[in-house]
Amino acid sequence: MTHTLHRLGTPESLHDDYVVLAMSGKGVNETGSHVPLRRFMEIALELNPVNAGESRTGNILTRSIDEVMAGIEDISTIHAVYTDPASVATLLRRVSEEQLGISVVVSGLFDRVCSTAGEAGVRQHTVEYSLGVWGQVDRLPNTDVLQIVTMCGHNMVTAESIERAVRDIRQGRATPLDAARALAGKCVCGIFNPVRAARLLKNMADGSAPAARPM
Amino acid sequence: MYIRTEICNNCASCIPTCPVGAIYVDRARKHVTIDQELCVECGACYRAGVCKTKALTQPQLTWPRSVRAALSDPVTVNADTRIAGRGTEEMKTNDVTGRFLRGYVGIALELGRPCLGASFADVQVMSRVCAQHGAEFCANNPVTKLLTDTTTGDVNSEVLNERVLSAIVEVTVPLERVPELLTAVIEAASTLKTVCSIDAVSLVEPDGSIPLRAVLAKLGLHPAPNGKNNMGLGRPAFDFFGGDAL
Repeated sequence: MTHTLHRLGTPESLHDDYVVLAMSGKGVNETGSHVPLRRFMEIALELNPVNAGESRTGNILTRSIDEVMAGIEDISTIHAVYTDPASVATLLRRVSEEQLGISVVVSGLFDRVCSTAGEAGVRQHTVEYSLGVWGQVDRLPNTDVLQIVTMCGHNMVTAESIERAVRDIRQGRATPLDAARALAGKCVCGIFNPVRAARLLKNMADGSAPAARPM
Repeated sequence: MYIRTEICNNCASCIPTCPVGAIYVDRARKHVTIDQELCVECGACYRAGVCKTKALTQPQLTWPRSVRAALSDPVTVNADTRIAGRGTEEMKTNDVTGRFLRGYVGIALELGRPCLGASFADVQVMSRVCAQHGAEFCANNPVTKLLTDTTTGDVNSEVLNERVLSAIVEVTVPLERVPELLTAVIEAASTLKTVCSIDAVSLVEPDGSIPLRAVLAKLGLHPAPNGKNNMGLGRPAFDFFGGDAL
């Protein structure tokens, strides 16, 4: 699943959006990997992520931390979302120092991730590039909506729910952060960034949403 | 998913939870209902917890409809690959699996993403293109397991009419064949009834260079400024540079 790829946005829009993922390789270092995975999550949570979760149990915005921790098994894919590269650097450094031995993937702006990795004493091993969306793109929602939709790679945050959230903000029924956190609850994996979403929702409600890069 | 109309109060709260717009008000029946053809069995409406009367009902799915949930429901673990979601580890564990070797590029074609969903007829358009251009299908991928012939890219005819939120055709090709394949894939994308998110995976050379970048630039393809970075922390580390990978 390429669920942390294809997050649409300009570099300015993506400056506070970093997803860190950890998992073991099935049939390689899988057996017993729930132990380092749980340790990874402990470290990740100490660094105050804006979201975190396990792919089947749910995220910390809808489940207790104890529930998320208990849901981590050998087959788990776990995630934490940060708004600053410094926290990512600290996480990478500590995971490296403790030699947890699980695979770690950072999704974010390539130039920032590269420099962050350098600060942590690690380097890029394999990269995955998004080459855009092709085909019937005329049927897609506008880019303002897509910037938020694509923060849940499984598409659990729908375009219609985003449009409703914007209306709720405009009519004073919700703050941007409350609306963003409600949307984040739909993203089971916990990779949706509610802080970035709140900013994007506010811009949409104010009518000041900047244009995203074209697909 | 279906709605038990005898207990549904027609509040319509479930409508905005559907990623593919399958829930609608049936004016003739005067009831909220689910278009069974469009529903991809992702479970988003059910998990949203918006139904106060518990009218949303998830039946036990049988083949071939079960393939919808297998690829669309993020909490479903694929039986073959033991990965939740769309069921592939792709580059996330490349540091220990050696899935994408030096000199090779992984190409992933994600049909239906974002927002529109896809049928396996759409998937077959792309799997056939990949086969025609000699790409090797990744073994540990749920879509590959639905192909009846990897030399033609033919999808099991039993699932051709099934719809999913998205499905990933995942292949590897030698670096020098990337232009041929991507050109063909992009041309084929214009014939799809849905969208296709395309991505490319490459190992980073020991000196930090990524030969794929120059190939993409020559094609006029400009990767997004953001993407995924496997940080090489998995152990035991796969030996990419020992000679066998070349």
